[in-house]
Amino acid sequence: MGKENVKILVGDDSILARKQLKDTILKYAEGAEFIEASNGQEAVDLYHQEKPDIVFLDIVMPVKDGIAAVKEIIKDDASALIVIVSSVGTQVQLKSAIEAGAKDFIQKPIRPDQIKNVLAVHLK
Amino acid sequence: MFAQFFGSYLLSKNAVSPEQLTAAITKLADTHIKLGTLAMHKGYMTASEVDEVCFLQTREDKRFGEIALERNYLFEDQLEDLLKSQNPDYLLLGQTLVDSGVISNQELEALMVGYQADNELEGAPSEDANQEETQTLIMNFFEAADEPLSDEALMYMNLIFNNLVRFIGEDFTPLAPVACESYDTNYCVTQCISGPVNLTSGIDMEEDVAIAFASRYAKMEFHVFDEYVKASLEDFLNLHNGLFSVNMSNAYSVEIALDPPMHCDEPTYKMNKGSFVIPVIYPFGTIYLLLAM
Repeated sequence: MGKENVKILVGDDSILARKQLKDTILKYAEGAEFIEASNGQEAVDLYHQEKPDIVFLDIVMPVKDGIAAVKEIIKDDASALIVIVSSVGTQVQLKSAIEAGAKDFIQKPIRPDQIKNVLAVHLK
Repeated sequence: MFAQFFGSYLLSKNAVSPEQLTAAITKLADTHIKLGTLAMHKGYMTASEVDEVCFLQTREDKRFGEIALERNYLFEDQLEDLLKSQNPDYLLLGQTLVDSGVISNQELEALMVGYQADNELEGAPSEDANQEETQTLIMNFFEAADEPLSDEALMYMNLIFNNLVRFIGEDFTPLAPVACESYDTNYCVTQCISGPVNLTSGIDMEEDVAIAFASRYAKMEFHVFDEYVKASLEDFLNLHNGLFSVNMSNAYSVEIALDPPMHCDEPTYKMNKGSFVIPVIYPFGTIYLLLAM
């Protein structure tokens, strides 16, 4: 999988956070196609519909939080590539994200180099 | 953090009015620290010596340092020390108030001494004063307003002032906390924290202030009060509370839960006893921090 023309699902209840994440990703994955979800349930539904290459998910979201969304996505697709992007980077949250099946964890505020690394590692 | 709390100290001593303080804060960005202010702060020169040199400068085309040396108000080594010293950031606010004619150099001299003594600052505090000193400063700030804080609330407030510096800018002055059980909102965003610590925090501001706040937070130019501006307020609060939960987890090994931030659409926000509001003045307007217990 190359870095171009990847399909990326961005799940965050903040329109600003989604824009900032998309802008940052575009610096390293030109031509990426985005699908956006504003809560955990939308992210689960859109994952099934769109089968994105990689998913970025916030934790604190209405309707369904990010960790619960990871569990549901992984239940149906164990190979799903999900990265948590959250300001709540405690050890316990990190552990539950990884146990739920997330592949990586980025602490907000996001730094461009973290996004670059995640894309480089997971989208070889 | 010293510049920020010097302003509220001046207010608590009735040395300036909130309007005068706001006007001075608005001017801060265009102000540079003067040698005379520094010399006074270090105790090298008295206020009247500084005033005299400033007066002489209007008649002789010489630098402040040259005149002060000629008159033996400063020694060479003191001048060198001043030129390379780290300026405590609260001096600039004091100097701006003197320049605006709100207070005199004599008054500033006495207020600086009082401020340092009250907060047990050793000599000239550096800009990167350590966490402990900042904690003391914030504790004094609340005690002066008769609002003593629990350890968690102290950590919370310490972090929010640091996050304002980090994400919005250091050019603010918090006014004294006001105990409050019912608050009339402008555009208000709140977020509930639950678990071992239970509180609701919020930020509130007028729409035009929110536009400026969001522009700084998102590092984007906003001109209208739109969904990005609203999201910026929510993001700031959510980011701050997320970092608070990380600190709580590291310091006390407790996990707290966060609800998503919400816009409060009631014209009046009801809070429990023990809740308070802190107005924080920025050059672009005043934001209000709410802490509901």
